[in-house]
Amino acid sequence: MASQDDEFTMLFQDFYPSLCRFLECLLGGRAPLAQDLAQESFLQLHRTAWGTLPPGEARFWLYRVARNLAINEFRKTNTRYRLFDRVVEAMRPAARNPEQEYETRERKQLVLEMLQTLPEDQRAALLLREQEQLSYREIGEVLNISESKVKVDIFRARAALRERWSKKVKVAGASVS
Amino acid sequence: MNCGFTEKISSLIDGELWPAEAREVERHLLTCVRCAEARADFLSLRSQISSFEASLPGVVQKRALAKILAGGRGERKTSGAGVSWGWNWGYAAAALASIAFIGLIIGLMSFSQRPDQVAFNAPPSVPSPTVEPSPETKSSPEAEPPKADKNEKEDTPKPKATPARRPPVREPKPGEQFASIPEPAIPETIRSADAQTMTALHFEKAENLLRAFRNVRLDDTDAAAEVRYERKRAQQLIYQNMMLRREADAAGDVQIASLLDSLEPILLDIANLPDRPDEATVRVIRERVERKNIVALLQINSTALARALD
Repeated sequence: MASQDDEFTMLFQDFYPSLCRFLECLLGGRAPLAQDLAQESFLQLHRTAWGTLPPGEARFWLYRVARNLAINEFRKTNTRYRLFDRVVEAMRPAARNPEQEYETRERKQLVLEMLQTLPEDQRAALLLREQEQLSYREIGEVLNISESKVKVDIFRARAALRERWSKKVKVAGASVS
Repeated sequence: MNCGFTEKISSLIDGELWPAEAREVERHLLTCVRCAEARADFLSLRSQISSFEASLPGVVQKRALAKILAGGRGERKTSGAGVSWGWNWGYAAAALASIAFIGLIIGLMSFSQRPDQVAFNAPPSVPSPTVEPSPETKSSPEAEPPKADKNEKEDTPKPKATPARRPPVREPKPGEQFASIPEPAIPETIRSADAQTMTALHFEKAENLLRAFRNVRLDDTDAAAEVRYERKRAQQLIYQNMMLRREADAAGDVQIASLLDSLEPILLDIANLPDRPDEATVRVIRERVERKNIVALLQINSTALARALD
């Protein structure tokens, strides 16, 4: 039987990347901060709740903690963080060829910008659905809201993004022609 | 713009409608162009959001795990986002140390010398550099063990009533500093050519399976045999998928690991299908394959890996 640390390591390897992605989208980029908060969430799990949670609960617990940490970050004045993150981002070596890198970055930026236009609760619900494929019940559990609110939030988020997306496409089309 | 069904379309693509309701919405979709467009747009948004890749270098992940398992000393310092938090404490600690040091010097001098000599000998403003470090040394995240977060209780959902059991934490070796684990302690593994070949072959097999699964017609007489065949193929691929994912994770190959990660639940779903699955179940799997755009991703990655091996 695997030791607790082995189990924890497996959980970490399974969910750390997706938790980072969730936080990065929630925070509107700021990858280093997202990584720190993901690490902090796992650390709190390891320190306080690991071994006491029922099987399968750890994942929801992590997303709940991570989201709370992200909300705390929103409350802070964070110009300095942003500046630092940009410097770190600029210093990071490019892994692919410049063209691919540029395209990926542009696409990521667009997705992040669109997501930032949503209220935080809608954004969190949508990300948990689209990226983590959680059910409405599970999302409700993570965000501590009812299933019907999850349903409405996700729908509103989609409708708003759809509208903005089509506007962007129209603007892009007009500028091309 | 909306015709009353739009909200249900959102639930439909999430698989959150009862079967009867789902059938009703699907029937409606056949006749309502607006709703069909809404569904296409929602699925397109889904593909944009789900294909978002986190900027996560493999080494960051390894370092984070090592720190957590080591007891979390020096956490939130890996990537620098917590630096300004560290600076605040660093400045405070340095200021306190400086005051204490100056006080100590003055105290010692006043103890050992006459008051007039103290006034003459006391250095006006240049304390020892070892006590008042430069801003760079002050900002060293490892210099200060993190204080307990005031918001920790708010951030942390209440654990269950069972008493908190602290997981076993590795004891530090003599002289070891957890907060600054040196790079060689967690070596960057490079993916071997064998692993890459296996991954490329695996992607090809998975791609063939998903293409075949997409084309299974449930109303055919031999649909059950086809489903059985695809199920068997999926069962064969799951184990290898898990192994390759772990290997890619360990090597820090985020792109491959995340693709394998997306593939795994789909393989599991196919592997667990009954002999005669209902249409809704198959549709859900097909939709998932489609929205993740996984067939194309498998094709692109297997070609890229094969090219890299040439």
